[in-house]
Parts: sequence; C-alpha cells; structure tokens
Amino acid sequence: MAKGRVLLRGVTKCFGAVDVIKGVDLEIAPGELTVFVGPSGCGKSTLLRLVSGLELPTGGSIMIGDRDVTLVHPSERGIAMVFQSYALYPHMSVAENMGFGLKIAGLPKPLIKEKVAKAAEILQLTPLLDRKPRALSGGQRQRVAIGRCIVREPEVFLFDEPLSNLDAALRGQMRVEIARLHAKLGATMIYVTHDQVEAMTLATRIVVLNAGRIEQIGAPIELYRHPANLFVAGFIGSPAMNFMDGIVEAVETNSVSVRLNGATLRLPRHDAAVKPGAKVTVGIRPEHFRVGPTPADMDDDQAVEFDAIIDLVERLGGETLAHLRMPSLSDGVLVVKISGDVPLRIGTGLRVGIRLAQCHLFDADGRAVGEPAARAVVAA
Amino acid sequence: MSLISTPRRDVAWIGRFSALLRYGVLIGVGLIMLYPLFWMVAASFKPNHEIFGSVSLWPQDPTMDGVVKGWRTGTEYSFATYLLNSFAFIMPKVVLTVVSSVLVAYGFARFRMPGKQLWFALMVATILLPKSVLLIPQYLMFREFGWLDTYLPLYVPCAFATDGFFVFMVVQFLRGIPPDMEEAAVIDGCNSLQVLWHVVVPVIMPAIISVALFQFMWSLNDFLYPLIYLSSVGKYPVALALKMAIDVTEATAWNQVLAMSTIALLPSLIVFFLAQKYFVEGITSGSVKG
Amino acid sequence: MYDNRVSGYLYIAPFLIGLATFTLFPFLASFLLSFSDYQLQDPVEQARFLGLGNYTQMAGDDTFHGSLGVTFLYVFITVPLKLAFALFIAFVLNFKLRGIGFFRTAYYVPSILGGSVAIAVLWRYVFAGDGLINQVLVWAGGEPLNWLGEPAYALFTVVLLRLWQFGSAMVVFLAGLQNIPTDLYEAATIDGAGKARIFFTITLPLLTPVIFFNFIMQIVQAFQEFNGPYIITGGGPLKSTYLLPLMIYEEAFKYFNVGYAAALSWVLFLIIALFTIIAFASAKYWVFYGNEREDGE
Repeated sequence: MAKGRVLLRGVTKCFGAVDVIKGVDLEIAPGELTVFVGPSGCGKSTLLRLVSGLELPTGGSIMIGDRDVTLVHPSERGIAMVFQSYALYPHMSVAENMGFGLKIAGLPKPLIKEKVAKAAEILQLTPLLDRKPRALSGGQRQRVAIGRCIVREPEVFLFDEPLSNLDAALRGQMRVEIARLHAKLGATMIYVTHDQVEAMTLATRIVVLNAGRIEQIGAPIELYRHPANLFVAGFIGSPAMNFMDGIVEAVETNSVSVRLNGATLRLPRHDAAVKPGAKVTVGIRPEHFRVGPTPADMDDDQAVEFDAIIDLVERLGGETLAHLRMPSLSDGVLVVKISGDVPLRIGTGLRVGIRLAQCHLFDADGRAVGEPAARAVVAA
Repeated sequence: MSLISTPRRDVAWIGRFSALLRYGVLIGVGLIMLYPLFWMVAASFKPNHEIFGSVSLWPQDPTMDGVVKGWRTGTEYSFATYLLNSFAFIMPKVVLTVVSSVLVAYGFARFRMPGKQLWFALMVATILLPKSVLLIPQYLMFREFGWLDTYLPLYVPCAFATDGFFVFMVVQFLRGIPPDMEEAAVIDGCNSLQVLWHVVVPVIMPAIISVALFQFMWSLNDFLYPLIYLSSVGKYPVALALKMAIDVTEATAWNQVLAMSTIALLPSLIVFFLAQKYFVEGITSGSVKG
Repeated sequence: MYDNRVSGYLYIAPFLIGLATFTLFPFLASFLLSFSDYQLQDPVEQARFLGLGNYTQMAGDDTFHGSLGVTFLYVFITVPLKLAFALFIAFVLNFKLRGIGFFRTAYYVPSILGGSVAIAVLWRYVFAGDGLINQVLVWAGGEPLNWLGEPAYALFTVVLLRLWQFGSAMVVFLAGLQNIPTDLYEAATIDGAGKARIFFTITLPLLTPVIFFNFIMQIVQAFQEFNGPYIITGGGPLKSTYLLPLMIYEEAFKYFNVGYAAALSWVLFLIIALFTIIAFASAKYWVFYGNEREDGE
C-alpha cells in the first residue's frame, strides 16, 4: 500500500526558454515531512507546484500513491496546499473557505458542515467559523489555510513558504504547530521554505535544490554532518561554513594532507580520490572552532591550534561570532562561534583550535572528498 | 524662549496663509464651475421673465410651470417615455459590457497563450481609434441587417467587448491581484469558469461596478449613435429628445428646456453621488497603476 | 489551468469576434469607401471606384480647409489648457487640507455630465444673448457680447465647455500625485532642495507617466468632439466651430456623400494616429517609468 507516497521521475519544467527544473528524481515515503529548501530561484516552489498540478511538467512523470497523476487535475490528485499568502477567499467566511472544495465537489451540506467542524476543532478555529478572513490575525489566517487542507483529507499536504508572512515570534509558534499537526495526522507533507532553520527543525528529510537540480537529499543531521558538496555545505548551517582554499600535499590510506595559506592540515579521510597537487577546499563550521585550552578528552592528534587576530565581534548574547584573521589558514576572514562570556577585543590576538575530524574536504568540482574517516582514525 | 518661538510663529503664519490661499482658489474655481448648474436648477423653477430679468439664484416667484410643461414636452410623448427609452438600451448595454469585458479581461490577464501580446496591443489600439472612422461602415452594416430604427446597433456590439477601455480597466485591476486565490480554488476543484464566478468576480467587484457605472453614464450622454440609428420620435432617448426640444420649443420657454435638462441630468447625478468612489477608482486604475 | 490556450482563446473570443466584425471590418470598409463615390441612399453594390477623387476634392474644398483649421485650433487650445489647469488644481488639492473629498467631487461632476446633451443645452442658454453670462456682464457694468454669433466668441464658448470638464484629468493627476512616496520629498528636503526644485526634480518626473496618459486621452478625445459644437452652435457661425467630426457627420448623413465622408474620416484617423505615434515615440525621452513591471506571463 503506497498511499501517501510521492514519486517524481525525470521531472523537467521550462518556462519558454528558461529551464526551471532540470530533471528531478525523488521518492517521498508515506508519512514523511519532506522539506524543499534552497535559495530563491532554485525551483523549489515550481517543484511543489508541479506536484500540486498547478503547473504541468515539460517532461517526466509524477506519481501520488499508486496513481500516475502527471496530467491529472489538481483537485483529483489527493493533495491540498497552503499558500504563502494563505489565498483565503476574502468574500467567504472561515467555514465557507474551509468547505468550498467540498461544495464544488457537490457534497451534501450537512456532511460539509460536519467535516468543517471537525477540522476547526483540531485547529481551535471553532469560535471563528463565521468571521471573514480580514477579521483574523495572521496566525489565525494561517490556521484557516491549513484547515482548508485538512477538510479535504488529502494524501499529501503541500506547504509553499507558509510562514514567511508571519513575524518571528508567530513563525516559531506556527512551526511547532505544524510539527504537531504532522505528528497527529501522520500524513505525507511537502514543505517549501528558504529558511534553513525551518527546514532543519521540521523535516524528516530535506531536499536541497539549486538551479533546478537536487543537490542532496537526507535527514537534517545527515546534511549538516556530511554535506555532499560545497553548495549544501554552505547552505545548511548558520552562520555559514568557512571555506579555505588549499592544495593536496599527500594522500595516505587514512588521511589527506592539505597545504593551506601557511599551515598543512592532515585530515583523516579514507578512499580519498584526490591526487597530490590537486586544488581542494577545506570547510570548517564556525561552531567547530575552539577558543582556550584544549579539553582533556581531545586527542592531541586531532586538534591543531593557530594564532588569530580579532577583526570584528558580533555579540548575540548567549554566544558570540568572532571574525578572525588566521593567516596560516586563509587570506580571508573566518567566522568563529564561541561562548558569549569569553572576553574579546578587536585587534588582539587569540589561540584558536580546530578538530581535524570536523573539517570538510571538497575537490575542485565542489564534491565532498572521501569518507570522513573520523571513526577510523580514532580506532587506530 | 522668544528666539525659538518667533520663527515658529512665522512658519505657522505662512502655513495658515497658504491654506487660506488654497481654499480661496478652490472655492472660487468651484463656484464658477458649478454656478451654471445651480442656475439651471434654479431656472427650472422660475417663470421665464425672471430667468432673463435677474442674476439672483433663488426664484422670487417659484413655479412648477417649467417642470410640468417640460415633462409634458412639446411632443406626443412625455419625458417619461424618453427616459424609459434611454434605459431600454442602456440596461442591456451595461450588462453586456460587464459580462464581455470581464470574460475577455480574465482571458487576457490570466491565460498564457500564443499571440496574446498582439491581441492585447490591438485592444489598446482600439481605445485610441476614432469612432468616426468606423461610423459609416457600421451604419451601412446595420442597415443591411435591417437594424435601423431599433436599439440593436446601440447595444449588440457591447456583447463583444468593443469598448477596449473597459477591458483594459479590468485587466489592470486583475493584474494587481495575485493569482494565489484562484490557484487555491483550482485545488478545491474549480474549473476556470467556476474560478471566475466563485473567486474572481467577487474579488474584482469594485472594478465591475466601475465598468457598469461608466458605461451607464456614457451611454446616457451618448448622442451621435442614437442620432444616426433612431428615426422614430417614439424611440428617442433623452439625449435626442432634448436636442429636439431646443429645436421645437418656442425660443422663450427657457424654463421648460432647462427643467428638462435638469431632469435629464438627475440619473447621472444620483448615480455619481451614490457611487463616486468607483468613478475615481475606475478612472485612475487605467493610468496610475499601469 | 492558465496554461490552457484553448480556454484562453475561448475567453477572449468575444473580443476577437467583435474586433473583426465591429472594428477591423468597418475600418477597412471605410478605407475602401473613401475611394468611392458611394451615396447613402443607394444600395451598397452601386458604389463606384473613384480613385483618389475624394482626396483631390478635399484639396480644393474650402469648407474642409476651414474645418481642419478650426479642429487644430480647438485641439491646440483645449488640450494644453485643460491639462495645465487640471494639474494646477490637482496640486492645490494635493495637500493635507480638510474637505479635499468635497472639492474633488465638486470638480469631477462637470466631467461626468459634460458630454451630455443637457449640458450642451445649458451652455447654449448660458451664453445666449440674454443668458447668464451676459446678465452677469451687464450687472457688473459691462457690455453684453454676442457669444454665439461672433465666430471668435463662438469657438471660445465651445472651448470653454471642454475646459469645464477638466475634472477627470485632475482626478488622474491627483491619484498620480498621491502615488509619489512621501519619503522621496523628505529625502529631497534633507538634501536641501527647495520647493520649486522638489517640484521640477521629483514631482514632475514621477508624474510624467500620468501626464502622458492624460495627454494621449485628451488628444484623442478632443479630435473627436461632436456633441458640444453640434448642439451649442451647430458648427456656426460661419463654420467657426465646424470641427471635423461635425463635417464627417453632415457629409454622410445630411448630404449623403458617404465616399467623401469616409475619406474625411480617414484623414481624421491619420491625424490622430500621427499624434499618437509621435507621442509614443517621444515617450522614451520624457516619460519616466520608475519601477518597471515585468509582464512575463
């Protein structure tokens, strides 16, 4: 039984001469909350609209459940969609908004009323059923938009940047509500956002899109720990990963030595398909730097320390972002996230440590190099 | 203290002076503009000798004579006939214009189709095309149809969105509305006609009202088309009846003619004051938003 | 759904049919008629090809020359004056004054009514020998004027009727003015610009699209004015208000010279087309479109 499964095969979409989706293969398992994330213009909304049927693909096929729905009318695909602008009908009450689809389908009035009442209860909209959308707050409108979906009892819920019109506080709250709703209904959901925090917190799996192609698919933590390429590495995680250019000096069974600006890092890696002399990029997340004495539990073999000069300090309260110059690693400025209570002064020096196992390595084409051999090194 | 307050008082004084000047200009211009209208209404209730005799607005010797005789008109029909005649073709004209303009504007504003740019450009061009270049062949065509001395030539073309201005107005209005709601309706199972009826029409209601009001007003003012197409006095609309009145009424019966003019303007005035915001929105939507 | 070309064409089908039947066909037909000697009372089949006859006749027709001159005079006087006055009043109104709505309405009323026969009739009486204007003149100690009898004055009364209807252009200007973001004015004030400078460097450039729109509409309408002169003066005295649309109407429906009338209407069309083309061609030099919208659909 594949109810709620979504399967895209070789899906492409062109608008005139512009290829917006350049061939996407994707399987979404029933009950998953899949998030499409990527920079604006990457095609994530178009991909969602292809699933919804609001756009028809130029090539490829789309299946929902066991049915090929590539050319099926949106209302017959078993989907429901929450729009960024909510798209509530301004001249209809909340109840009419929620029941409109059922009315068009010709359901008897008492049945519509019953279904609307049930959905309203799930979303605590019961007291608002007679109001018009303009008399609702942003959060309430959002819930009505979701209610309109629930009433349809779809196989797949589609969300198109549903929280981007809300203020920060409400956004956090609605995010939790959507997560709760997903847990409660257990339905397949596809959620489009450009906000990677939303993606990380909500998703069962994240699909990272860039320029009409899938860059990587995986659980949030997997994308964070093992980005498959430079794009994903730079996109997932905030603040973004630091990148340093280097040249491979030596390749051994379990390590790759990379010459950076002034220092050479011996990164634990196996099966690294690079040759000495190749141009590579080393990435380190801001949160993986360490300021102060190396903790006792850290293997000396993995930790390296460098001199840094403080260029700029951004204090966020609980933590601080320090922009550092570390000439031995890079010409540029590296962003380091450290605890908020460390005293820092611009222009002063600092010792900063990194764990080699937490460094990422990408080849000249931007692909991650070799297996991150952290465990292997520790075992050895 | 005084060092600070003096310039402020100056500024306030200049501000008040400028406001005064503005009000002066506005009231002066307004009075000059509207005075003929007041004069016309007042003259309807004056005896004829008083119209020529005094510049005063208020009738010293008010009489309904002009209104009564004017209503009766010099013809075999009363003014009521002419008013009803006007509405007899204006109502279908308004309805057909609204329906056709909304359908066509929806097609232009929303659908992707080859050749759309060309058709749209042609539609805008028709707005600028002088009517007199079409007048004669249209007349000959309707003569061939046997439609002369009927109202058909006056309203049938409106069923085909021939007033590009109205289509343009609705298109501009629609372009200002994101299509999300319509897409939601598609997911809710509507076909495009249902989307149009259940979602688009309620949302663009202000534009629809503007179209209806403008068409009503312009048709009421329209003179040339009834003039060439209608020949029986019994079918004359108000505009033709008035023109006939100044030709046949004896030269001195001004109060009758002015009373008729006043009555003729009443429908427009009432509609305008009831719905003036739609006029302002309508006239500005084509120019400012686009 | 909106990808469906067939339904798209179904929606614009009424327009396409109307365009072909009531616009393009008559447009071409009048072009053909303009080369014929067709008389209104004859069956259409009797129309005879005349070559450029109607056009050569025009070259020697003093009535036509007079009418053309009056038409240009009328347009060149009314359009700039009406636009300037509409813009001026819009400016006066575009301040935080109480009662703007009232004045806007008061000024707009004449535009709504102005095209009607009733107003033309009123005009005729206002400017009649013992009409309102002369009464006021006498009351103020002046001499009454023969407004409708003297050629120069007659054209003036007809011009005045059009100026009287400046309200619709004013409403458009006012909306355009209110569309200019106030922070631009504030930024300019902080930059030290005076009132006149702000007007010429900010207000006017940002208003050019609206000016352009009003200009085109006014030109096109003024060239087609019929009701006012037809009812107030009947084109007289001495053809001093005999605008081209009047001449076209009379040639066709009074003298039945359809061929000649069609040729006249084509001349009118070409004149309007020329003005519109010049206006659109010049637009890129003086009309400022700040936030260009893309219409990629």
